[in-house]
Amino acid sequence: MKEALSLVQRVNAHPDSRCWFVSWNPSGSLVASCGGDKAIRIWGREGDSWICKSVLQDGHQRTVRKVAWSPCGNYLASASFDATTCIWKKKDDDFESLTVLEGHENEVKCVAWAPSGNLLATCSRDKSVWVWEVDEEDEYECVTVVNSHTQDVKHVVWHPTQELLASASYDNNICIYREEDDDWECRATLQGHTSTVWSLSFDATGQRLASGSDDRTVKIWKEYPNEAGQDLSWKCVCTLSGYHGRTVYDVAWCPLTGVLATASGDDAVRVFKEDESTGPDQPVFSLAAQVTKAHSQDVNCVAWNPKEAGLLATCSDDGDFAIWRFHED
Amino acid sequence: MVHRRFTDALTGRKEKQMAGKQMAGGHAQDDLFDSILLADERFRGEGYHEGFERGKCRGLREGQRHGASHGAKLSTEISFYHGFAITWKCLLQTNTDIKSRKRLKALEALLGLIQNSPHEDPQSPTLQGDMEKLRAKFRQVCSMLNIPTDFKDYIKTSEGTSF
Repeated sequence: MKEALSLVQRVNAHPDSRCWFVSWNPSGSLVASCGGDKAIRIWGREGDSWICKSVLQDGHQRTVRKVAWSPCGNYLASASFDATTCIWKKKDDDFESLTVLEGHENEVKCVAWAPSGNLLATCSRDKSVWVWEVDEEDEYECVTVVNSHTQDVKHVVWHPTQELLASASYDNNICIYREEDDDWECRATLQGHTSTVWSLSFDATGQRLASGSDDRTVKIWKEYPNEAGQDLSWKCVCTLSGYHGRTVYDVAWCPLTGVLATASGDDAVRVFKEDESTGPDQPVFSLAAQVTKAHSQDVNCVAWNPKEAGLLATCSDDGDFAIWRFHED
Repeated sequence: MVHRRFTDALTGRKEKQMAGKQMAGGHAQDDLFDSILLADERFRGEGYHEGFERGKCRGLREGQRHGASHGAKLSTEISFYHGFAITWKCLLQTNTDIKSRKRLKALEALLGLIQNSPHEDPQSPTLQGDMEKLRAKFRQVCSMLNIPTDFKDYIKTSEGTSF
């Protein structure tokens, strides 16, 4: 392989605990990590190394499962097993807790900001997906509660350009939601995975969706316009199987280069590249690079830097987060 | 015990039949044997039918109890939401600020869902789905009103899951 994935730095972000998620801020200058130690840590680059800029402790009573930056970069949302979602506001180099969103019956598994910055989505083990609206006074209000899944909802992600939401669940399905008369409803159910779908990622244009599952495959879904006009139709156009030895916990589509990164329970990090020769309806992806022992335990998350092409962050059950560089020679 | 009696009866009958053979025709003989040989099957059949009828009655009673219990739980839940929505509507009706208007709109939507739910028709195919929508709407309204949804003391959903 001409391409390679090389380690830039490894940081023991959440000692004696799991590092569940890492997220780059919109400008690509900071990384937020969260873990089983109930804390959120903000990391910044100082010269060649990444150092901890601040620690957000006491925001949650239990594990912080995911963190998400607002599109403007001034807010951070954290989803926790304590059934709450905390909204933090950036104040110089620190963050202060602005508000706590309550309502889910149990563990909140994911939080995601819509590209518009006005909407927030959360999902939980209580099988529901909640959509919240933010107004000018930083007031959050729940606009919809949707119960389209029959099991734990693991992940929610917004479409990059349209007001469309996707969710992944333990029930093996992916649901796509659209707003209709102030209410968000499930417009399409994508079936195909034979086990829990852990993660979702839209490509830069939002025409395709990648999903990672416990069935050890990654599926690529493409939207097809329906003759009826209203309802959405998504079909699976590609399945990557045989690459992952265990569950695929996370997938991330690089908005700058179009390559797809995956995080797996087999401790490896992989990068897939689409073959140029194949058409959009039958894409073929091949393994461009992999690090088989990227971490000493399950890799939980992969995240591409939104501004610097090829810079990838990963984190693991071993409590570390790592920065990698993907380069094509 | 029964077996011996049967055998004795059979022997006894046979003797009588032998005697009877000399007296009557062949038909009576066949019936006699049939009634013994097929006795097991006949009693089994009678027993089955009797049991079936009894079971049907029992099943009906149990079903009625089950249905009544579930119906009561469902009605309790829906009427709880109804009372809740009407009360809040009364409380917020006179407010004109934007927040209250948004809340009223949500309350109206909740009342609409209650009115349109097929709660009078247990066989309705949309009952489950509509109940899910109703519960979800209720949770959303509670969130908007900043009310914690811990009503465990008042209701339990008909799924048995604690509210």
